[in-house]
Amino acid sequence: MTASFSTRSNGNGVTITDEEYAKFCEFFYRKTGIQYQDNKKYYVDRRIVERISKTNSESFRDYFTMVRFQVSGEELQLLVNSMTVNETYFFREDYQFDALVTGILPAVVQGKRRGDPIRIWSVPCSSGEEPYSIAINILERWEQADHWDIEIHASDIDTKILAAARAGCFSERSVGRVPPQLLSKYFKSKTAGEYQICDALRDSIDFSLVNVVEPAQTKMFRNIDIIFCRNLLIYFDDVGRREAVEMFYDCLAPGGYICLGHSESMSRMSSIFQPRKFKDTIVYQKPVSEE
Amino acid sequence: MPLAKSRSSAADVALNVAAQDMTSLLADLAATESGVRRNAVRALGLHPGSAAALCDRLQVETSPSVRAVLFTTLIRLQSPAVAVRLAKLLRSDDAPLRNAAIEALQEMPDAVAPHLQTLLADEDSDVRIFTVNILAALRHRQAPEWLAVVVRGDPHVNVCAAAVDGLAEIGGPETVQDLRDLRGRFAGNAYMEFAIDTAIRRIGAE
Repeated sequence: MTASFSTRSNGNGVTITDEEYAKFCEFFYRKTGIQYQDNKKYYVDRRIVERISKTNSESFRDYFTMVRFQVSGEELQLLVNSMTVNETYFFREDYQFDALVTGILPAVVQGKRRGDPIRIWSVPCSSGEEPYSIAINILERWEQADHWDIEIHASDIDTKILAAARAGCFSERSVGRVPPQLLSKYFKSKTAGEYQICDALRDSIDFSLVNVVEPAQTKMFRNIDIIFCRNLLIYFDDVGRREAVEMFYDCLAPGGYICLGHSESMSRMSSIFQPRKFKDTIVYQKPVSEE
Repeated sequence: MPLAKSRSSAADVALNVAAQDMTSLLADLAATESGVRRNAVRALGLHPGSAAALCDRLQVETSPSVRAVLFTTLIRLQSPAVAVRLAKLLRSDDAPLRNAAIEALQEMPDAVAPHLQTLLADEDSDVRIFTVNILAALRHRQAPEWLAVVVRGDPHVNVCAAAVDGLAEIGGPETVQDLRDLRGRFAGNAYMEFAIDTAIRRIGAE
């Protein structure tokens, strides 16, 4: 954060100085890994002021003290929720799909015999864009795809969103990054501006309701080779994040990989995975041999 | 199409989540397989009475993944007694174990708070530095004041330097005078001058 700032105020009479804003951004980065650039000043300001108002805090300083020292971390969580945007679309953060087909999958099959399945788990899968993007990338871009049985599991905590994922109907905005030839190959146009993924892909993905903090539900997933868990853990508190990644550790096969969102870093959660660089992304590998 | 649908419930499922009794779980802490030990630790997390046994296990456990689950479970089970046991690890020569203990103690502010004065008065300056590291990330309203106490009175330059770094993160304007006074105690120490200037600038008082 290098720009020189001015003082901002708002309709509630609360003022956030530029120094306070910079301090907040640094704190928020340390807590979540999310870094706001100067062009997000208005966006961040507005949400802080909203939380100041909802918590009846008298000033930014009062509010910031509460966020930093509240033992439960509840207000920090609410702040994080208000700061994040829940949206997804096909081929989001597609540098990870590049890494998947050019590096991760080739590495995974090195340790496999023909006939062994390759298991991929997308969690949370939201309305399905991620697992379908994984499937399309594998089918289109991994030359070994036909030689292996590939299972794609997709889970979410929200039954409504899972139903939408199974239905596989998407808006124009959602498929905006899908190249035209893939759009015509894997989608059928329903009504104006609505596309449905083809039945073959819909039928090939195993959707399931899973709460990742519920051990009885995650025990279903074992020997997973690759987990995509992107932009979920930023919503958890510190100990929740630790528990989640330790749970993923048990879900993974030895040598399996976990892909996190671009603003998430395993080093802030746990040291039991090894960072591996594939193309333009860093993923995290469970050690090949159990200790 | 190479995509093969397999119900997740059929994927090498180990669905036996029936509650085990504490005695068998305690026995599993010494199992050969690290996966069995991790599961035992998690299950023991439902038994607050197991905290002492988990702390005992931490003394001998060498697997990083089991250690990680032990620390996470102890954070959930936190109590002043657990904090005292973890604080003993600040003296360990095993750096990953010591760092993990610091991170765990940072996650249990109410449990560690009653023990902080003792740790800050420890004769070993390394223990005091690690305690300052805990304070710098502790979600406790008094953390800045405790760091200010260190700045006012600790005789060791490295302990004070760590406290200055901590105040740069969490200190408020009320700690600035203590930082200014510290200059006199370590006059001529270039790093301390730099650290104090940086802290005061970040606190925003100059």
